[in-house]
Amino acid sequence: MLAFTLRRLLLLVPILLAASLVIFLLLRLGPSDPAMDYLRLSRVPPTPQALEEARRMLGLDQPIVVQYLDWLWRGPSLDFGNSYAPQRPVLPDLLYYLPATLKLAGVALVLALGISFPLGMWAARYRDRFPDQSVRLLAFFGVSMPNFWLGFLLVLVFSVHLGWLPPMGMGGWSHIVMPAFAISLMSLCINARLLRASMLEVKGQRHVTYARLRGLSEISVERSHVLRNALLPIITATGMHIGELIGGTLIIESIFGWPGVGRYAVSAIFNRDYPVIQCFTLLMVGIFVLCNLIVDIVYAWADPRIRLSAEGVQ
Amino acid sequence: MRMSKPLLAIAAFACILSNVALADTLRFSWPSNVGPLNPHLYNPNQMFAQAMVYEPLVKYQANGTVIPWLAASWEASDDGRIYTFELRPNVKFSNGEPFNAAAVVANVNAVLANRAQHDWLELANQIVSAEAVDDLHVRLTLKDPYYPLLQELSLARPFRFVAPSQFENGGTKDGITAPIGTGPWKLVETRLGEKDVFAQNENYWGEKPAYDEIEVKVISDPNTRAIAFETGQIDLIYGAEGQISPDTFERFKATGAFTAELSSPMETNALALNTNHGPTKDIAVRQAINHAVDKDTMIATVLYGTQKRADTLFAPNVPYADIGLKPYSYDPALAAELLDKAGWKLEPGAAVRSRDGVPLAIELCFVGTDAVSKSMAEIVQADLAKVGIEVTLVGEEESSIDARQNDGRFGMIFNRTWGAPYDPHAFVSSMRVPSHADYQAQLGLPDKAEIDAMIGKVLVSTDEKLRQDMYRQIMTRLHEEAVYLPLTYVTAIAVARPELGPIPFAAMSSEIPFEKIHPKGM
Repeated sequence: MLAFTLRRLLLLVPILLAASLVIFLLLRLGPSDPAMDYLRLSRVPPTPQALEEARRMLGLDQPIVVQYLDWLWRGPSLDFGNSYAPQRPVLPDLLYYLPATLKLAGVALVLALGISFPLGMWAARYRDRFPDQSVRLLAFFGVSMPNFWLGFLLVLVFSVHLGWLPPMGMGGWSHIVMPAFAISLMSLCINARLLRASMLEVKGQRHVTYARLRGLSEISVERSHVLRNALLPIITATGMHIGELIGGTLIIESIFGWPGVGRYAVSAIFNRDYPVIQCFTLLMVGIFVLCNLIVDIVYAWADPRIRLSAEGVQ
Repeated sequence: MRMSKPLLAIAAFACILSNVALADTLRFSWPSNVGPLNPHLYNPNQMFAQAMVYEPLVKYQANGTVIPWLAASWEASDDGRIYTFELRPNVKFSNGEPFNAAAVVANVNAVLANRAQHDWLELANQIVSAEAVDDLHVRLTLKDPYYPLLQELSLARPFRFVAPSQFENGGTKDGITAPIGTGPWKLVETRLGEKDVFAQNENYWGEKPAYDEIEVKVISDPNTRAIAFETGQIDLIYGAEGQISPDTFERFKATGAFTAELSSPMETNALALNTNHGPTKDIAVRQAINHAVDKDTMIATVLYGTQKRADTLFAPNVPYADIGLKPYSYDPALAAELLDKAGWKLEPGAAVRSRDGVPLAIELCFVGTDAVSKSMAEIVQADLAKVGIEVTLVGEEESSIDARQNDGRFGMIFNRTWGAPYDPHAFVSSMRVPSHADYQAQLGLPDKAEIDAMIGKVLVSTDEKLRQDMYRQIMTRLHEEAVYLPLTYVTAIAVARPELGPIPFAAMSSEIPFEKIHPKGM
């Protein structure tokens, strides 16, 4: 297992290298000119001299290859340059904002898992009856609704009309409930439906029938024989949900004035702040790969067949 | 847990104190943190915050004049090349350091040491030297008798003053240690992505502001800002740069529960019509366009009345611009007649006019993500279609639109004047620069060279009457040639909680007059 983990960690290096090249080139393929955006932010008229000076200041006067190699060269020492808009070192700023995002995504994950489990089990237990139909309806709306729209609806109801929750900012639990729920609803709904399907599939298997024949109670069968075996696809899905949840913070943080990397990145995208976009994307790639690795390890732990095959036991 | 009586009393007193402190804080919002507040650099330093902390030698007024500020008086030499400023005595920076001639000279030299960055501002190129005559007198020597010197000294940057003790490496281009200015406010706290807090400067020489603190929360989204205001998280929304959408402003105004005000015109939002490209080469087409667009309906529907109708490129409140130009009235019949006379005929069954087989089709370029510009463009398109002009809308990203402005690839393009104190002198000056839409749009005028030459002359003219006459000629010429379709005069908006008294507007869109805002009844 250790060798497997190390091998996967080493794979991060070529993945990040490839990602860095793709991001770098993609950003520069567009017709936009960050120097123009810099002048717009500075409210300086874009005369040719001002543009030239801005390009020099931002290091955009160098050939693209030189810019890339310079960026790559400084990468291992964790120097990702200065942002164009806030004019500050990129990585320390990203790391400053990251805990807020992880906190938001973490609470969203807890909400997604904590609510989807009972819902999925409820729906599976009462297949094609009212509970199942209502979870299906909820999932239909939850998956179809864009999270930013849900965010605005929540603010309208709970902040503007009822005045129960603060509409923005970071503070106590009251600040985190709405943004976390807005991000988590889609994952929550997908998870609930997935768990339902997976549980129904396991329910029909022979070991479950055998457990019932042994006279075990229905609750005991559901917990020990159905749910546990039905968890495997949920573990894989959770890995993807973590990515979705962190991605979901991009827009939600702007709506809820949440000081995290998502809002930082959205501002950077608007301002064509290449160093920030590059570093943010690399960070996200790293987080996704690590999450998938953790999921794989948990999966192996949960499913002895995979663990044993990885350890070479036939 | 039990608390002793004295402790309870202290806690209660602390609560009262904290409530009092809270009542003395004005809460505002801005899309980003205010930055390190270097007075001599641009982004990420936010202009409104620079103007809170740093002051100019002279202050710009809404009527286009300047009044003494850190300079108590000034005089110009007969040839208009040397200005001597007498500084206001007993002014101190917020750290107690004296504001004197040496500080002014150090700051001006710090700006000039980074001249390439300030190249866009003619004054930075005009100043040859700054010398301290004595402790309270400073002499600025210019290359030419550049009359807008005083207007440009009043700008929020770069000619404002930080305490020289805060220079890094002997200047400011590499940064400053701390933002120490002479203004009514000092920056006391910055929390990245959350807020910036300004407190009163105890050493301020002028009238003390009514509020103890200004808290500026970071809110990037206009809808979030509106909700933050509605739910009492902020007290004031102010600005000319889309702080909230026009319909939200209208909604707040309609409730009657808030102060919702519009400033007088700040800038002009116009379309530049290309005299050098396509059908707009023809003056009849340009004049017809000016007669065919119903600006009042546009303002009422798209802008919810948040801007004012523009009849001329510069609003009459702009210096030298109140010259009685005759507006092009909304008259589609007259527009059609002008086109007919010029040979642009509407063939039977056709929707678009043509002349010699060339259809009357024009491209209108705008920033695609700007919803307001897009709606305005659609109204122009619909109005011009009624008189047989086909308009193709080209919505692109901002830098692509900037590139079109630079090289003249447009029929009509959105274009804004720069506002006070740049209008009219700096905006007119930029008409001579090929990278501007104005230059490209005017290139087809037979007397473009003469117009440019007159602009050159007006900027260094020392005779006020002659200057007014030259401005009159330039503005009249551009108006008669219908090089622009002035759409609206952009205004700043202010929406405030009723606990705040009336909200005054600053003369420049880059400033917010926090020091003049008082709680109601104070």
